[in-house]
Amino acid sequence: MAVKPTPSATDRREQVGAPIATPTQVPISVSVADEFPQGIAGFAAKAMSLVTGLGITARRAIAAPKTLSYPREKYPISPRWRGPLVLRGVLGREGIDLIDAPSVDYNATIDTLHREQSLAPCVGNCPANVDARGQNYLMADGHHIAAYELVRDRNILPGVLGRICHHPCESVCRRLQYDEAVAIRPLHRMAYEAYQSDRPAIESFPLTQQANIAIIGSGPSGLAAAWDLMKLGYSVTAYEKDKTPGGALLTGVPAYRLPREVLASEIANIVEYGLDLRCGIEIGKDVPIDHLIGEYDAVLIAAGLQISRGLPIPGANAKGVRGALEFLSDVNRRQDADVKGKRVMVIGGGNVAVDVARCALRVGASEVRLACLEASNEMPCHPWEIEEGLDEGVIAMCGNGPEMVLEQDGLVVGMRLRECLSVFDASGRFNPVFADLFTDVDCDVVVFAIGQAPDLRDLVAGSDLVLTEQGLLPVDGSVLSTQQPGVFACGEVVTGPGSAIGSIASGHEAAISIHRFLAGQSLLADRVFRPVPTFPKYGQATLDGVESARRRVEMPLSAAGERSRDFRQVELGMTRLESLNESARCLRCQSQVCVGCTFCARTCPDFAITVERIDDPGHRMVTRYDLDLSKCCYCGLCAEQCPTDALVHTGQYELAFRSRELTISDIAEMRRDPGGTRATGCDALRAQERVEP
Amino acid sequence: MSGFVGGLIWGLAAGTLIAIAALFGVWWERKVAGRIQMRIGPQTTGPAGILQTIADTLKLILKEDITPDQADVRVFRLAPLVVFVPVAMSFSVIPFAAGFAPLDTSVGMLFFLAVPALSVIGILLGGWSSRNTYATIGAIRAAAQMISYELPRALAVLSLVVLAGSIRPLDVMAAWSPWWIIATAPGFIVYFIASIAEVNRGPFDIPEAESELVAGYFADYSGIRWSIFMMAEYGGMVAASLFGAAVFLGGWNWLPGIGGILVFVALTLALVTAMVWVKWTYPRLRADQLMSFAWKIMTPAAIVQLVVVAVIAPWL
Repeated sequence: MAVKPTPSATDRREQVGAPIATPTQVPISVSVADEFPQGIAGFAAKAMSLVTGLGITARRAIAAPKTLSYPREKYPISPRWRGPLVLRGVLGREGIDLIDAPSVDYNATIDTLHREQSLAPCVGNCPANVDARGQNYLMADGHHIAAYELVRDRNILPGVLGRICHHPCESVCRRLQYDEAVAIRPLHRMAYEAYQSDRPAIESFPLTQQANIAIIGSGPSGLAAAWDLMKLGYSVTAYEKDKTPGGALLTGVPAYRLPREVLASEIANIVEYGLDLRCGIEIGKDVPIDHLIGEYDAVLIAAGLQISRGLPIPGANAKGVRGALEFLSDVNRRQDADVKGKRVMVIGGGNVAVDVARCALRVGASEVRLACLEASNEMPCHPWEIEEGLDEGVIAMCGNGPEMVLEQDGLVVGMRLRECLSVFDASGRFNPVFADLFTDVDCDVVVFAIGQAPDLRDLVAGSDLVLTEQGLLPVDGSVLSTQQPGVFACGEVVTGPGSAIGSIASGHEAAISIHRFLAGQSLLADRVFRPVPTFPKYGQATLDGVESARRRVEMPLSAAGERSRDFRQVELGMTRLESLNESARCLRCQSQVCVGCTFCARTCPDFAITVERIDDPGHRMVTRYDLDLSKCCYCGLCAEQCPTDALVHTGQYELAFRSRELTISDIAEMRRDPGGTRATGCDALRAQERVEP
Repeated sequence: MSGFVGGLIWGLAAGTLIAIAALFGVWWERKVAGRIQMRIGPQTTGPAGILQTIADTLKLILKEDITPDQADVRVFRLAPLVVFVPVAMSFSVIPFAAGFAPLDTSVGMLFFLAVPALSVIGILLGGWSSRNTYATIGAIRAAAQMISYELPRALAVLSLVVLAGSIRPLDVMAAWSPWWIIATAPGFIVYFIASIAEVNRGPFDIPEAESELVAGYFADYSGIRWSIFMMAEYGGMVAASLFGAAVFLGGWNWLPGIGGILVFVALTLALVTAMVWVKWTYPRLRADQLMSFAWKIMTPAAIVQLVVVAVIAPWL
């Protein structure tokens, strides 16, 4: 074995080829002579400078000290020492609190949790504050029906929202920090399926109040308000102008996302609970609203948005130009929109536009294009929606604004698009900037999906309610009252186009207002409104090396080629076993109960923590939590990242051990109440002796 | 035999005195240094933190006594005592009161100058036996420094001997009169500066220079052995102040009886404070500056002082 000689520095320099620059030497010379003259005078000056120095320090010494007196503070260390970490609760021994306050107190409960910083992000970010954490807790133990009932209290249609919700809960899930969000929305759906297949007997809510209430509209917000009011003991009647209830869920949401039988069965359940649902009665046409106001103690307008906004561009009145809502309504009512074999151009980039485009494919359009002002990464629709649409064959033309509809003999023959450079100006206002670049696209049908507006003129006709010039109903945005006492409004009438869960939240709020109104209370006094906390948005964690057991269950989608031709459901749902595994992934944030997620052990830089748990549904528990104090460096990272706040880093600990065994804190030690005395570890040793005779 | 017993008693008394002086000196230094830096200094242990150094001593006694692997163990263990004993011995010739010095010897002045100089052997032993480059360099620096400053210090004291016509401290004290202060002022300043250098205190703490040599010759010492070095330093500081306060400033000559003793103590305290003051005022000198200062300024100044005193002495 010959040892290769290490190349010397010169060799390496030659190898590299470039000469190494020698830094130029800057001579530094400081001489006392620069400051002081030579000779006797210089000596005297130097001596004087020394005296001056002494004078400075003497003046300093005489002056009052500038530092504070150290406080004579003695931090009381518990006579019973312990390791630096304490577990407040442990899975399998402590349960977590479900948020199950009655609807009138629900806001206050959420507000208290928020103030205590014990509000789980999923609950806090949901407009209706659905207790997703509680749902996951119950489902992980196999209590799917209880989970459904828990969710239904705040989210009146779990089966529906479990399919169509835009899940703000999942977008702030703490689990995103570690791997992937918990599939809260699909779990709603699973809870619904379990409930529906094994439905407990329903007894209608007892009528305990004298007052009766009319609700105009049977969409999500109206149903949510009805549910709350029925639970409070009121008699509630809902009027629906269509023959089938559901509001925008029925007319606006395509069946491939929401099968009609799901909606129908959930509404049927609510009817069984005592809702008097009267379909096919259009308030304002069939019955004047004044009649309702006279007959009922309170009226809630939850009529939603009925008309699509158009654009005042040339050709907008040509035959073949349609509004999104009318289009979707046609599709949903008769599975046909007269576009078979035609080329469809959808204008707009929101969720409705994508729905229109995907529906157009399903009702036989030969080609579907979607033009929106925004670039593809800025589209206002949810990214998964447009992705599924693109899979099915929708052609997206992002960054193009509508210029004019090309018509021939009053018939649409194409669309002229103008390239859009930017949509929002520097201050974030909608102010599109266009380039002089035009594209003509041949098409037969143009659908505008650029917004919706309410159509309340018929509704309020003949009453004291007055609409604004834009046709909007003036409503107090917080307590949801209108100009007329006893008439309230909720849902998209108030909020404008929004999410289903947002409408449901406003329904709950309206129910509180109505209850207060009927009880003769002030609408505002002592009322707690829903806190709107902001949660940190974690970037997607890297999934390299994440075990498959930790990953989110994958929602199977039907094949894009097949599904784009009919209205079968795209998302296929999960199995019961998958739902058990998925709900067990929930970290139960802020519950102060350790779920054994092992993220503390993964965070620990010293590998001082060992966590084990068993995952059998119904018997989930943390079986081991060891902390090796001889490795612990007291950094507190474990407690800092603990998603449940169960792990607490205390300032009181003692490290003088009599016995080496005492350097390991086991689960009992981690949970030990800091009382009594263990100053020498004697009692622990004696306890060991007792165990081993 | 009685001489041995008496010596033993005086030895114990001197040891105790040095220990108390060191305890007090450390506390006083920390208080003065704190005030100079606009701080308060020790304040929690005992009134005004007076018990802080006792607590520190307990801590030092309890600390592990570490001997380096490669050290020459016996020499390493012996060195602190070789440093400390000469300093303790130097206390024995100090004239504490009228007609009283623990060891009243006819060569007292010489004894006081010569015996503490033996410390340098202990310092060399300590630095060398640690087998540590820093400690060795520190020890050699200390030896050079201490031997250099012996000369001006001895010359400065010599002018007093010339004035008194005796090298017995009690004779010097008896012959002392207040105008000597003026006559020997340059000599006193030389003595004071040389004493600071002699005990390796700032600004002449080059052998210990923390930033360059970690801690100099006692870098590898810990616990009580380390504190013996520190005690020797504070003991030397107090001894030099006592001696200077006595023979240069007149000590107990100012007032009769117990009042004289109090004046003596006050003068000593003032000198100790001045040493602390100087240390916390000036930055550390460089080794060559230190040497040139000793040989080019201090020694000539002391010689000039001696010549002046020698010229005026016969006219007294």
